[in-house]
Amino acid sequence: MIVQLFNGLTLGMAYALIAVGYSMVFGILRLVNFSHGSVYAFGAHAALLFVGFQFGLLPAAILSLLLTGVLGVLIDKTALEPLRKKGSVPVASLITTIGISNIIQNLLTVYFGSERKSFPAVFDFGSFKIGDITVTSKQICMCLVSLVLMAILVIIVQKTKVGLAMRATEQNSKAANMMGVNVNFVISFTFFIAGVSASIAGVLIGGYYEVVYPTMGFMAGLKAFAAAVLGGIGSLPGAIVGGLVIGISESMAATFLGSTWRDCMAFVILIIVLLVKPNGLFGKKGIVKV
Amino acid sequence: MKKVLAVLMAMVLSMAALAGCGSDKEESKAPETQADAGETKADAGETKADAGETKAEGGSEASGDPIYIAVAAPMTGDNENYGKGFYNAATMMAEEWNAKGGCLGRPVEIVQYDDKNSPEEAASIAQKIASDGNVAGVIGHFASGVCMVAAPTYQENKIIEISPSSSHPDYSGIGEYIFRNNTVIRTEAGAALDIAVNDLGKTKIGVISIMTDWGTSTGTIVEELLAEMDGVEMVAHEEVEESSDDYSPAITKLNDAGAEVCVCVGMYSLDGPVAKQYKAINPDIQIIGFSNAYDEQLLELGGDAVEGMCFPVLFYSGSDDPAIKSYVDGYTEKFGGAPSALTSQAYDSVGMLLTAIEECGTTDSETVMKKLYEITYPGVTGETKFDEIGDVQKEFVKMTVKDGAFVPME
Repeated sequence: MIVQLFNGLTLGMAYALIAVGYSMVFGILRLVNFSHGSVYAFGAHAALLFVGFQFGLLPAAILSLLLTGVLGVLIDKTALEPLRKKGSVPVASLITTIGISNIIQNLLTVYFGSERKSFPAVFDFGSFKIGDITVTSKQICMCLVSLVLMAILVIIVQKTKVGLAMRATEQNSKAANMMGVNVNFVISFTFFIAGVSASIAGVLIGGYYEVVYPTMGFMAGLKAFAAAVLGGIGSLPGAIVGGLVIGISESMAATFLGSTWRDCMAFVILIIVLLVKPNGLFGKKGIVKV
Repeated sequence: MKKVLAVLMAMVLSMAALAGCGSDKEESKAPETQADAGETKADAGETKADAGETKAEGGSEASGDPIYIAVAAPMTGDNENYGKGFYNAATMMAEEWNAKGGCLGRPVEIVQYDDKNSPEEAASIAQKIASDGNVAGVIGHFASGVCMVAAPTYQENKIIEISPSSSHPDYSGIGEYIFRNNTVIRTEAGAALDIAVNDLGKTKIGVISIMTDWGTSTGTIVEELLAEMDGVEMVAHEEVEESSDDYSPAITKLNDAGAEVCVCVGMYSLDGPVAKQYKAINPDIQIIGFSNAYDEQLLELGGDAVEGMCFPVLFYSGSDDPAIKSYVDGYTEKFGGAPSALTSQAYDSVGMLLTAIEECGTTDSETVMKKLYEITYPGVTGETKFDEIGDVQKEFVKMTVKDGAFVPME
C-alpha cells in the first residue's frame, strides 16, 4: 500500500514535470502545445545520443536539456510565430502542434529506429527497506530532483525579472508589450523552459524505466495534459498537484481495481474535471473580454 | 473559454480512444509501408532480371517466372527484431534453393511486407497480397491477434499462410490454408510452468500478462494450468498494457502477495523491463518467460536483470547437431547474430512450403495445401509435421540466461 503510494508519487512527479510545460505555454499563449509529448521523447533520445559519446551521464543530460530547449524555441519560431503574426484562429496553432508532434516522432523513428532502446539507469544505488516496505533509490531521487526543479521553476516565474515579464505577458501581452516587455523573447524563453523541463522529464523517466522509444511521449503527454487540466491549466502549482493526483490514482487503481484499469484513470479524472470544475483546482476564472 | 475546452475535450477523447486500440500508435505511417512494399517488390523484380542474366551466363541456373513467397511481419516497431529475423531466414532459405537450381526450376523470390504488428496494417496487407494473387504462400504474421485478423482473407482467397510464431489456440482452426510452425500456447505454457514448479521447485506463482489477444488468452491458460497442479498456488495475476513501461504497480502487487516466481506472458519488450523493475525491489525473484524471449534484444533491454531468467524454446542455436550447426553458422555469418527460435521456425516454414511445391510440381495452392498436411519435414527445429488442423508438436529445450548469454538449463 505504502509502496504503491511511492510508485504513484514517482510517476506523478514525472507527469508533473511534463504538465508544467503544457501549463507554461498555455499560460502565455492560451495554446495547448500538443507537440510537448514528442519534445519529451526527443529529450530522452537526445540524452541517449549524447550518452553514446561517452562523456558521462551528467554532461550528456545537460547537453540534451539545452538541445531540447532550443528545439522548443525552434518549434515556436518556425511554426507558431508565423501563425501568430498572421493572426490565424487559435485552432490553427493547435493543429499545427499536433503536426509538429508527428514530425518529431517520425524523425526520431527515422534516426533512432522505432524499437525500444536501453537507457542507462540514473540514480541507481539499489533499494532499501523502511520497515517492511521496499523503496528504490531511483524513486526517491526522482521525487527529490523533480521537487527541486519545480522549486527552481517557481522561483524563475515568481522572483526573477524574466519571470515578471512572463507573468505580465500572461495577463495581457499587448499591455506588456507597450510597457517595454519584449513579448517575443518571453515567448521564446517560455518555449525554452518548457523544452528543458520536458527533456528533464525524459531523462528522468528514461533512466527510471531504462527504456526510450519514439512514441514514449504519446501516452505520457496525454496523461500530463490531463494533469495540467486537473490542476488548472496555466498554473504551476496546479500542474504539480495535478500530476501527483493522477500518478497516485493510477497506482491506486492498479492496486484496488487491477492493472487493467490503470491507463483509463487519467482520462476519467480529466472528464470529471471538465464536467465539474472546468477551470481545474488552481485555475483562474477565464474572463473573456470583448 | 468553454468552447476551447469543448474542442480540447473532444480531441483528447478521440486521441485516448485511438490509444485505447492498443499497439497501433504508428498507424499514421501506413502509406509509407505500402510504398515500401512496392519498392521491395520492384527490387525483387530486379533480382529476377539478375537471375535471368546469370542463367544466360551460367546455363544451369533457375529460370522462368519467379515463385514469390511473401514475408509479412513487423519490420519496424517494438517487435521489429522478430520480423527482420523472419525475413532474413526466408531470404537465406530462398538463396539456398536458388543455389541448387530453384524450386520447380524457377527462382524463389521473397517479398517483404511490414505489418508493424498492427491488425489494421495486416488486414490491408492481406488484401493486397490477395489482390496481387501471385504469391505462392505467406510466411507470417507475427502476433497471434494480427495473424487472426489476416487469416480469414488468406483462407477465402486460397492463399497458404504459415505463421512461424502464432500460438493462439483458435488460429489454425480458421481454415485449411492456415498453418503454424509453432506449438499451441497450452503446450508451451505447460513447459514454462514445468520449469517453475518441477525444475526450480517453486510453489507461489505470480503472473503478469499483456493485454493483447494472445496475452489475455495465454494468461487464462496459465491460470487454468496452475489450477490443475497440486500444491502450487497462483498468488496474483495482473494484466498490463503492452507498452506502458511502468509495471511497478503490478510488480508491487505480486511482491506483496509473496510470489516466488513471476511468469511474464509477453514479448521481450515486457520481459526486460519487468525483470529490471522487479529485481529492483526483490533481487530473489525468478522470472519465467516464453519462447519469444529467446532473442538478443532481451539481453539488450534486460541487462543484468534477466540473468537467471528461464524459458522453454523449440530451438537452441548452440546445438551440436551438424545440420543445425551449419545453419546457425551460415546465418551468423550473413546477418551478424545467431538466429532465434522463431527465426528458425520461419526458416523451416519456407523450406516446408518450397518442398511441398517441389513435390507437387505446381504452385497451385489447393494441391500444395493438401501436400503440406502429408509431408514430414526434417528442419532445424526438429521433425515437423502438420496435424489435421495445421498445428505441430515439438520438443522443448529449457533455456536460461547465464553471464549475459543464452544457455540450456542444467
